[in-house]
Amino acid sequence: MSRAEDALIAVRDVTKVYAMEGASVHALRGITLDIDRGEFVAVVGPSGSGKSTFMHILGCLDRPTGGRYLLGGRDVSDLSDDELSAIRNRQIGFVFQGFNLLPRTSAVENVELPLLYAHRSRISPAERRRRAMVALAAVGLEDRAAHHPSQLSGGQQQRVAIARALLNDPAILFADEPTGNLDSRTSIEVMEIFQRLKADRGITIVLITHEPQVAEYGSRIIRFKDGRVVSDRPNASRRAAADELAAVALEPEDAGA
Amino acid sequence: MPVRSSFAIAVRALRRNRLQTSLTIVGMTIGVAAVLAMIAIGTGAEAAITDQIRAAGMNLIVVSAGNYKMKSTDDFGGGAVEPSAALRLLSFLEPVLLAHPEDDPMEKHDHPTARQRLGDSEAGLGSAATLTAADADAIRGIRGVQYVAEGLHQNVHVVAGEKRWFTRLHGTDLQLPLIRRAWTFSRGRFFNSGEQSRAEQVVVLGSVAAERLFGDANPVGRDASLWRQRFRVVGVVTTASWIVAPAPGDDQFDAVYIPFSTMHRLLNLAKLNDITITAASTGEVSRIMSDVTLLLRARHHIGEDKPDDFTVTTQARQALAKGGMRPDVARAVVGNVSGLEKVTLEQLGKTLDRATRTMTALLAGIAAVSLLVGGIGIMNVMLLSVTERTREIGIRRAVGARARDVRSQFVLEAVALSVAGGLIGVVAGLIASRGLSHYLRWSATISPAAVLVSVGVAAAVGIFFGWYPARQAARLDPIQSLRYE
Repeated sequence: MSRAEDALIAVRDVTKVYAMEGASVHALRGITLDIDRGEFVAVVGPSGSGKSTFMHILGCLDRPTGGRYLLGGRDVSDLSDDELSAIRNRQIGFVFQGFNLLPRTSAVENVELPLLYAHRSRISPAERRRRAMVALAAVGLEDRAAHHPSQLSGGQQQRVAIARALLNDPAILFADEPTGNLDSRTSIEVMEIFQRLKADRGITIVLITHEPQVAEYGSRIIRFKDGRVVSDRPNASRRAAADELAAVALEPEDAGA
Repeated sequence: MPVRSSFAIAVRALRRNRLQTSLTIVGMTIGVAAVLAMIAIGTGAEAAITDQIRAAGMNLIVVSAGNYKMKSTDDFGGGAVEPSAALRLLSFLEPVLLAHPEDDPMEKHDHPTARQRLGDSEAGLGSAATLTAADADAIRGIRGVQYVAEGLHQNVHVVAGEKRWFTRLHGTDLQLPLIRRAWTFSRGRFFNSGEQSRAEQVVVLGSVAAERLFGDANPVGRDASLWRQRFRVVGVVTTASWIVAPAPGDDQFDAVYIPFSTMHRLLNLAKLNDITITAASTGEVSRIMSDVTLLLRARHHIGEDKPDDFTVTTQARQALAKGGMRPDVARAVVGNVSGLEKVTLEQLGKTLDRATRTMTALLAGIAAVSLLVGGIGIMNVMLLSVTERTREIGIRRAVGARARDVRSQFVLEAVALSVAGGLIGVVAGLIASRGLSHYLRWSATISPAAVLVSVGVAAAVGIFFGWYPARQAARLDPIQSLRYE
C-alpha cells in the first residue's frame, strides 16, 4: 500500500454496484491496481466485463460504490460532482469510439471546448484559439480547423477529439474503443499518435478495447472478466505503430483498408 | 464561470440550429410586439382623451339667449340611459348632485322673452332675441377674456351645382378656430377679418358637408349657395381628434360656417343665439362668468327682482354631447351625472383616464397571453433541445463542465431566444403601432419605459421557461448522456 501515494492512479478494492429494478448488478467486484506515470495501459475484456465501468471511475465520470481511488495521491472517491468536473477538466482527457464531437461546430471550436470550462484560469478568446490551433497542429489538422465534423473523415474526427483531449495538458488520457469506428490504417495512425504522446510528453494512457491486436500497442495489458482483473502483465512484444505506418506507406493506397 | 463565456457558448449552440432558433424567436417576437402595440394604443387613447378633454374646453363659457325654469327631474333625451358596462366606471363621478336647470334642452322656459321666436326651427336655448353683437363686443372688454365668438345657428339648404345638402349653418366670428382646438383645416382656411368686417359672402365647409357637396374635389374657390345667394368656399374644416370620425348630423363638421356679420346683413338680423367665450386662465372661469352676468344684466336693464334673459354656462355639457365624445359615452356621462357643470372637467378627465387605463390593462392582458404562448414555445424548444443534445451535454460534462455550467448554458440560451425575440418584437411593435395609428387615425404612443418593460418581461419569460429544461439538462448523468444515440 505504500506505493499508493506514488502511483498516478491507485485503486484499492474498488467495487461498483448498479441497482437495476430490484436486482443489483455487480459491475466491479473489488479491483486493486496501480498505474504509474507514463504507462500505456491497455484494458481488454469482453463486453460486460466491467472495463468501461472501470474507465468511467478512473475518468472521474462516476464514483465507486466501495473502495478507494487515489488520483495523483488524492482520494477522489467521495468528491462532489463539481470537484470531479474540475478534475476532468484539468487532469483528464477523453477519446471515445464515437468521436463525440459537437455537430455543426468547427474543428477548432470543438478543440477549444475544455478551455471554456477552465474556471480557475481566465483565458482570453484569442489565447483559447491559439492553443486550440497548436493542439490541432500537433495532430496534423491545422488546415482543417474551420471544417465541421461532417466534413471530416473518421480518422480526422478522432484526431480532432485527441487534440481536444490534450488541450488542457492532462496527465492521463482515457481512450474508450478509440479505433472501434476506424479502418485498420487509420487505427494505426491513432495508435501512432498515442505512442508518440507517451514517448514525447510522458502522458499516461489508459486504452479500453475489446480487440486484442489493438491492445498489443500498449506497454501493459490488463484483462477484465466478470468485474475482476484476470491478468495484468507488461507487454514486452508491443507493436510499434510508427514502423507499421512506414511499412504501409510503401504499399498502394488501398492496401491497408 | 463568467457569464460572458457562458453566453458565448449559448449563442454558439443556438447558431447551430438556425431554423428552430428563428421560429422560437418569432413566437417571442409576436408576443412582445402584441403587448407593446396594445400598450401603445392604450396609452395613445389615454393621451387622446386628455387632449380631447382639454380641447372640449376647461376654459369655455357659453352665454345663450333666453333662460329656463328650474326642473326637478334630470332626464336626458327623454329616458333613462343605460351606460354600457365599460362606462359604468363613470358612475362614481363625484359629487352626484340633484337636478340642474339645463338638463333638458327641449324644455321651454316661461320667461316672456323665450317666446320671442324668430320663426326658425330652433325651439329652446338660444332662440330668444336677447343677445346682440354689441353684447359680444362688451364681453370682449372683460378682463381675462381670451377669445369671443358670436354664434348664430340655423338649418339651411346648401346648394353646389346639382348637389343639395341640408345642414347646420353657423354664423360666427373669425376667432372660432382658436376656440375649437381640435379643428384642423384640411383645405384652405377660415374666413379672415377683412371678409368678416365687409360681411362678404364666404363660407367654410365642415368636412361632411364638403364631402356631400363636392365629393373628393377641392371645393376651395368654388361657389355654394345659401338662401339663393352665392358664397365662395374658402376652406374645409375637419377634426384632428381620433375619437369620432365626423358623420352626417355632426354639429361641427356636418355644418357650414359664415361670418355672423354676413348672416346679419343677408337676413337683416341683429340678434345672436349665443356667445362663446374662453377664459385666458381656467382659474378665472367663475369670475368671468359672474362678470358676464353682471355686464349683460346691466346692458339689458334687468331689474334686481327679474331673472336673467340669458344663460351663462360652461360648455362641459355641450362639449360632451356634441364635440368629440362617442355618442354613447356622451349620453352616459350627460344622462347619468347630475350637476355636470359642478363636476370639473379635470375630474371627468381623471375618470376617463382611469377607464382607458383599465382598457389598456385589458388589452395588454390579452396580449400577454401571446407572450405566455411564446414562453411555452421557448420551453418546448428547450426541452426538445435538451433531448436532442443529450450527447452534447455528455461531451461537455466529460471535458469538465459542471452541472451548473450546463444549466446556465441552457438558461442563457432560453434568455437569448426570448431577448432576441423581445428586441425584434420591440421593432415590430413600433412598426405595428405606427401603422395602426396611421390607418385608424388613432394616436399611439410608446414610452421608453414600455420598451424597457417589454424587453425585461421577455428576459423574465426566458428565465422562467428556460429554467426547467435547463435543470433537466444539468441533471443528466454524464455517462448515460455520452452513450445516448
